Amino acid sequence: MPARRAENAVRNIAALAVAAFFLLPMVWLFTTAFKLPRDIFNLPPVWLGFEATLDNFGFAFGQTQVMRFVLNSIIITLGTTLASIVLGTLGGYAVARSRLRFISASSYFFLVLLMVPPVAMLLPFYLLMRDFGLLGSYLAVIILDTCYNAPFVVWMMSNYFRALPTEMEEASLVDGATYMESFLRVTLPVAVPGIIASVLYCIIFSWNDFIFALLLTSPATKTVPLVILGQLSTSQSAWGSLAALSVFAVLPVLLIALVLNRYFVQGLTAGATKG
Amino acid sequence: MAAPGQMRVVKKRRPDPRNVTHLVMLAPVLIFVLVIALAPLVFSFVISLTDYRLTDPTQARPFVGLGNYIKAFQDKTVVDTLLNTFLFVAGAVVSQVVLGLALAVLMSGETRFMRTLRSLIILPLSLPPLVVGLTWRALLNVQIGPIAFYLKQLGVDVGRGLLGETHTAMLAVLLIDLWQWTPLLMIIFLAGIKSLPGEIHEAAFVDGASRWQAFVQITLPLLMPVLFIGVLLRTMNAFKIFDVIFVTTGGGPGNATSVLNFHIYKVGLTFFDMGYAAALANILLFMIGVCCAFYILLLHRQQARAGGT
Repeated sequence: MPARRAENAVRNIAALAVAAFFLLPMVWLFTTAFKLPRDIFNLPPVWLGFEATLDNFGFAFGQTQVMRFVLNSIIITLGTTLASIVLGTLGGYAVARSRLRFISASSYFFLVLLMVPPVAMLLPFYLLMRDFGLLGSYLAVIILDTCYNAPFVVWMMSNYFRALPTEMEEASLVDGATYMESFLRVTLPVAVPGIIASVLYCIIFSWNDFIFALLLTSPATKTVPLVILGQLSTSQSAWGSLAALSVFAVLPVLLIALVLNRYFVQGLTAGATKG
Repeated sequence: MAAPGQMRVVKKRRPDPRNVTHLVMLAPVLIFVLVIALAPLVFSFVISLTDYRLTDPTQARPFVGLGNYIKAFQDKTVVDTLLNTFLFVAGAVVSQVVLGLALAVLMSGETRFMRTLRSLIILPLSLPPLVVGLTWRALLNVQIGPIAFYLKQLGVDVGRGLLGETHTAMLAVLLIDLWQWTPLLMIIFLAGIKSLPGEIHEAAFVDGASRWQAFVQITLPLLMPVLFIGVLLRTMNAFKIFDVIFVTTGGGPGNATSVLNFHIYKVGLTFFDMGYAAALANILLFMIGVCCAFYILLLHRQQARAGGT
């Protein structure tokens, strides 16, 4: 069928063009990180065949305390993710299974919270943290990050739990397990894909967070995005070291996203699709 | 051996252990969120009724009643900003949902080639929005940016650049947002498409429907639940845009890309006018609340239709 083949060819070419649109800006960022200053803004752009260098990384990491800021980002990401997953998974299960109207309706409350613009919460939270003397602590950032991530996990996990069959749970209850035991031993193990998806989103949100860290951290607790932005005010090699730090900041999440890419939709669409 | 359901009938006065367990599981997150989210929001309402300036050394907070709210609606910048916010949210949601759906259909093939492209295309969504903004800022820069360069080669007059011209700045911000978030919609819609039974289409073709008819009349209605999730997700996040605007346009040129979320930040932390910023934040909250109520109504009806759980 030549018509069929022609159609597939057109499809593949169109898909390739789409991929180019989404990938070329990242290619630019990644290549810039390895370019010499003279090549970075050479026009026409040098996409390939430039002289690769690690100078940008050298400069970026030669700055004082960069590793400290990386550590800050890791601490805040881990803290947020852990808190959000524990709180959100428990809450999500209750929302999905409860027969109490008030509990199942609370999912709407969490959804509403997700829509609260960060600034509306951030400015008063900033003032409160200042009064409590917590400004510049990891805790302040973790608390506010969790306040957005935990409701998201509740929402995702409740969708996920709802889509799971309940026969096994009921069987374990008949066998004398308490409701908590049945959740921990029967339901939780089969909900692992949903939890992985939630972890993925929590990591992405908190690792990439800029606005909360901008206001709530001190020079000692700064996170990586703030350091990236700070490169703009450094010397002539600004864009090179900016790109180098960006690549470094992006790489772990990018690798996780590549490996776990099939989990992105778990939970988000769990109730809305049959798959 | 009594089933749990029967136990409840016997011991009527004891609370149902099922409900107790669920309450215990919900309590931590509910209490956490109530304390952490509501405290600032209540505090924000209180300071919105005062003239609270961070720079005032006496830290007096004279009560001004609804003064800040009245000021907001007479403030041309705020009115522009409100319009920009709606423009951005509507533009982002519509363009990304349409494009995301088109891409999902285009790339739904199960060849190795398509699968590889799909897993690469979703990568932008894992980048920090800040880095995305900075990258595009460089790409679009008139003097040094590759995109501006290629446009010039094509004979396009780029002026001060897409981000620098008043009439294109918002489009440029929309483009950046589209670049980062369309892939997420694509994979969500793709999951929806994959879960559709294949026979439906075959039946439609037997009936002589064109592919477009089959898509609009059969596929699209079945995809409503995932489309709804996509719209919900993107609306939530579009109201929150900050990082990209912060590093690309700073709300400019003029106020062309100043959205409420960004403007509030500016009022609070560059002008230090906390009372006014809080009032603006509450106005934004109210607007989002209205959108929210609308969505929740839809969601509720949809879940009721799906047989309710």
